Order: sequence, then C-alpha cells, then structure tokens
Amino acid sequence: MAKKITGPQLILANRLDDGRAVFLTAAGAWSKQVAEAAVANSEEELTGLLSVAQAAEVSNQVVSVTPVAADVSGDAVAPAHIKFAMQSKGPSVRSDLGYQVSPNWE
Amino acid sequence: MYAYDTFDHAMVNARVAEFRDQVERRMTGELTEEEFRPLRLMNGLYLQLHAYMLRVAIPYGTLSADQMRKLAHIARKYDKGYGHFTTRQNIQYNWPKLSETPDILQELADVEMHAVQTSGNCIRNVTTDQFAGATADEVADPRPYAELIRQWSSFHPEFSFLPRKFKIAITGAKTDRAAIKWHDIGLVVKENDEGEIGFEVLAGGGMGRTPVIAKTVRDFLPVQDLLSYLEAMLRVYNEQGRRDNKYKARIKILVEAMGVEEYARQVEAEWEKIRHIPIDVPEEEVARIKAFFAPPPLAVLADDVPAVDELAGKNFIFKAWLANNTGAHKVPGYANVTISLKPHGGIPGDASDEQMDLVADLADTYSQSEIRVSHEQNLILPHVAKKDLPELWQKLDEAGLGTPNAGLLTDIIACPGLDYCSLANTRSIPIAQTITERFDDMKRLMDIGPLKIKISGCINSCGHHHAGHIGILGVDRKGTENYQILLGGSGGEDASKAAILGPGFDEDGIVDAVEKVVAVYLGEREEGEEFLAAYRRLGPDTFKEAVYGAH
Ligand code: HEM
Ligand code: SF4
Repeated sequence: MAKKITGPQLILANRLDDGRAVFLTAAGAWSKQVAEAAVANSEEELTGLLSVAQAAEVSNQVVSVTPVAADVSGDAVAPAHIKFAMQSKGPSVRSDLGYQVSPNWE
Repeated sequence: MYAYDTFDHAMVNARVAEFRDQVERRMTGELTEEEFRPLRLMNGLYLQLHAYMLRVAIPYGTLSADQMRKLAHIARKYDKGYGHFTTRQNIQYNWPKLSETPDILQELADVEMHAVQTSGNCIRNVTTDQFAGATADEVADPRPYAELIRQWSSFHPEFSFLPRKFKIAITGAKTDRAAIKWHDIGLVVKENDEGEIGFEVLAGGGMGRTPVIAKTVRDFLPVQDLLSYLEAMLRVYNEQGRRDNKYKARIKILVEAMGVEEYARQVEAEWEKIRHIPIDVPEEEVARIKAFFAPPPLAVLADDVPAVDELAGKNFIFKAWLANNTGAHKVPGYANVTISLKPHGGIPGDASDEQMDLVADLADTYSQSEIRVSHEQNLILPHVAKKDLPELWQKLDEAGLGTPNAGLLTDIIACPGLDYCSLANTRSIPIAQTITERFDDMKRLMDIGPLKIKISGCINSCGHHHAGHIGILGVDRKGTENYQILLGGSGGEDASKAAILGPGFDEDGIVDAVEKVVAVYLGEREEGEEFLAAYRRLGPDTFKEAVYGAH
C-alpha cells in the first residue's frame, strides 16, 4: 500500500556495523552524502524506495530505515527537519573531527 | 577500591562472551534488529544519530588510575579519541563499531568494569558523592553500601524487567552532592541518637516530563536491613508501577498516586514477609566489602602550607582554583581536588584520551592512584597533600584541565543533545559553549559566586535542568531549536524544582536571557547572598520583568 505523503521525501538509515547515517540513492545504493539521496515525489515513488531500503535492512546492510521530509528548495536536497538535517551533517561540535572536515568521514 | 572476586569475574566475562555471540549472530542476520535491540541495550549499547553509543558504568564514581588508562585506551583505539562523562557517573563513547563492542567490553572486563545495566528497565549504576570516603563532612563512606547494592542488583532476576528504569543514589555527607532527592530511591547515611549507623530512605524522585522530589519513606533504617528493605521497595513498585504508559511508569508516579504513607505502609508489610529470608548479607561480608574502601594510610601533615599561600598571593588564577576546585579532606594537610571538565568554550564532560592518561598519571603521583567522577561531569583527585597543590595545578593547567570554575556559573551540566542524541529537540553543547565564552572572566565569575546552570536538549532531562539554579530546556518549535529558561531549581539537600520563567528563545536569545538574570541577581543581592537564596527571596517576577520587559 502506498504511504501518504505531503511533500518530497528521502530515505535515511544507519549502517549496521558503524551506525553511520546514510541515504538511499536512486541507484539503490547507500551514500554518506545527503546530496546524493533519491527524492520521492509521490506515494508510489516512496513505496518503491522503501522496498529497496527494506531489502537492505533484511540483508543486514542498514538499520532504522526512516522516510523523512526533504527540503528541495536549495542547490542540494536536504532533510527539512532540524533533527534529520543534523543527522546528515554530523555533530555541530568537534568540527576538527566531524563530517564538516571531510564529507566521506566515517 | 573494591576488587572483583571470582564470581564477579566469571559473571562479567560470561556476559562478554554471550554478547560476542549475539553480535556475531546480528552481523550475519541470524538475529533481526528487533530481536537484537533489547540485547544490545542490556549491554549499554545504543544507536544514536550518527553512530552507536556505548555507556560504561563507573560504579559509585570511583576509578583506579589503571581503569582510567583503559578508558583512555578505548577512546583511542575504538573511538575518536575522547569520551563523555555523564551526570550518572558513567562514561559514554560516541563512535564504537558494533562489531568491535565485544572487544571493548572484554577490555573493560579485564580492568573490572562493564556496561551491564547501564540501559533498560532495570536498576542502574548506583551513584554517590564524588568525595565519598574523603570529605570532612560525612557520617560514613557510602561506597561499601553502594557496592552491596551493586552486587544485589546486578542480574537480579526479579528486577530485570521493571516497569521503567530505576536509579538509586546514596550520600554519606550532610551536603548532598549526589542529587539523591532526584532519584527513584535516595539514601542518606545517618547516625541515630544511640550512635548507630543507618539510612534515611527516600523514594519517588525523578525528572523527565513530570519532575518530582523524593519523599521520606523511612526515617531510620538500620544498615544491616538495607538489602531486604530495598527488595521490599522494589517489589511494591514492580507489582504496582504502571506498565501501560511509559510516561507514567516511574516510581515517582506510583508514590504520587498512592501517597507516600500508603507506599511506605505497603513496603513495611512486604518487608515483614521477606526480612527473615537471607537477602541481607552477614556482618562478616559487610566487613569484607568495607575493607576494600578503607581510607588510605595518610600521614597527618601541616594544614597551613606557606608555599601555597604565597603562590595564591601572587597568582589570581591559582587563588581562584584553590577556592573553587579544592575541598576539605578528612585528614589535616590534604585536599580533594576537582579537575574541571568545563573549559570555557569547551564541551562539558568531554575528556580526550591524552587528558585521561594524564589524569591517571597524576592520580598515581598525587592521589593514591584514585580518581572520582562527579555527577556534575568533572573528575576528582581525592587525598592530595596540600603541599603538592601548586605543582599539581601547574600540570593540570598546562593540559587545559586547570579551569578554576568548579561550582561557578561556567561549571555547566549539559546533555549530549542534538549533536549526538536521537531523542533530542535541540542542541545543548553549543549553548554551554556560548555561555562559557560570554562569561569568560574569572573575576566576574568569582563575583557572581555559586551558580549552577543545567541544560537538557529535551524533556527527558538528562542534563538535570529541573534542578538548575538556572535550567535550560530545548524544545522543538515548528522544526526549529527553541530554549526555555527555568529558575530556582536545586539538586542539593534543599532540593527544589525550577520553574519556567516565560516563553522560549532562540540560540542567541537564551544566552542574553541568562545574562539578564545574572544582572538582576547582582543588582538585587544582599550582602553574601548567593544566587539561589536571592531568587527564593525575590521570586520570579523581578527576573521576568528584566528578561521579558514590562508588560
Ligand atoms: C545520548 C543518549 C541518551 C539517551 C537515549 C537517553 C535517554 C533518556 C530517557 C528516555 C530519559 C527519560 C527517562 C524517564 O523519564 O523515564 C532519560 C533520563 C535521564 N538521563 Fe538520559 N539519555 C541519554 C544520555 C544521557 C546522558 C549523557 C546523561 C548524563 C549526562 C543522562 C542522564 C540522564 C538522567 C540524569 C536522567 C533523568 C533521570 C530521571 O528522570 O529521573 N542521559 N534519558
Ligand atoms: S535530555 Fe534529551 S536530548 Fe539530552 S541526552 Fe537526554 S534524551 Fe538526549
């Protein structure tokens, strides 16, 4: 059954082994960079992405699959809510260690 | 310090082996996340925003230098080079890998530490006064009793699935530094008129969305009855605490609902039934445990040390450190030293692996290889000879550990907040950083005097904002971070609930609001009157007017 959505959505999860926040891409891979996240613009698209994500959950790649509202107004897509935006950026403190230093930071 | 016996070792090692097997089965998919989650939580492993988080217990806040070195080693090898000391005398690692946690737990077991019961609806790490056994103002060292409770509550089959988490704190001193009235059960060691040692027993304290201050259940409980009485207290709660609603499941709700007299009556009735079965341990066992906590053999030294006074006379920072970060010891010529983990602009409670190693080395040199962790997220070196204070201070200062602000406005408690925590509404740490930068002036801080600011990133209240002289609570305001200010709380023996002053602020506004509150205090205080006393005398209106303007 299609999920009700009120706007564009992206899929967020944590990798099983290290818990790193990752985003489902259009190719069905998991990226550390939110800019690469696939955006679902309809309930059908969201259902499609979720089935890919849930398969990754079953095959022990990720946990905690969460569809979140996407903000598509900027240059790159980002989670709309502060909580998930924080999750995509890493801690705002210890910038000597964080995602800010290198987007590929583990 | 307590040393594990063969039972302790066997139990903890068996738990590590069991968890190693569970992790392997999770990695291969034999266990689903749903099946695995409760298992990892029983071992202190959470999943947070960016990574797993491992919470390691520091029983009653006491660590040996070697244990601290192990914590440093774990931070270095398995994490990103730091750890976070928490209000419940635990340490949290923010970046462990799932597949490596069994190794971490094994390394901890090697130094007699674990993460058992640091999560879940069980009896958690028992916390106490960070100066226990070393302070001049105590009736008796509470740690032997805390250790008894640890042994009794570890893997207690009947109390592994309580309605909700259960936190016990115990103090042996008149000044309550362990916030016992904010715990599910609080114990105060006291002496009765006959000179016997026992406990005042309190229950039903807690924070979260319904803050409640614990009430006295029994005025005097003889020491030998401690465990059977606790068993009775837990039984009544376990049977009658609400399991239908997570927010009403803590003992505070039960005690409020039935009234403390009725709760006490039921506990006494239950106790009568069970007190004669051997739950309490024989006197010899208590003596055996007490022996581990025997005070170190300290030769009495001169209490006045001219070199200390001399340095204090010419160095204001040392003088401030002496006044704020050292406290009276039981034995003349010694002091308890608080190492502030609150550098101005820094992260409250964080320590790097190098700092942990240094503290371990300093403990070997100056404090009988003993270290304490306080609920205010600082480290303590007990039993330091006063003559060593100048040298110790210099070494701490060089490592960024000499901030002389213990008990002052910048000694802030802050929870991890939205920088790490998946339950958060807002960040907490950056607010603490901005406040400490804004007040980065020791003369001004000394003038303001004792003032406790406590910050939580959501209503769960891990940052104790209900007990803050100034409390700050992060709320979600239409998807943006918003901060409420509360005034008048206390976690001490004069415990009180802080009250919300008015509408919330954004990140900058909350810091301005703190400044305005402090300005009111400075303008209105009477000779020698501390912030909390001034607030209690003045009431909220004067502060409200200054913060929100006249209406
Ligand atoms: C980052 C992961 C954390 C999570 C998921 C978490 C979760 C929670 C939750 C759900 C509660 C409310 C319990 C209730 O009212 O029934 C709570 C309370 C509390 N937590 Fe945490 N917490 C975290 C970190 C911390 C830290 C870092 C500290 C210490 C600085 C801490 C200390 C406390 C304290 C003191 C309480 C209040 C206990 C009470 O309600 O009486 N927690 N926590
Ligand atoms: S108070 Fe809220 S935000 Fe802070 S650590 Fe606890 S659960 Fe997380």
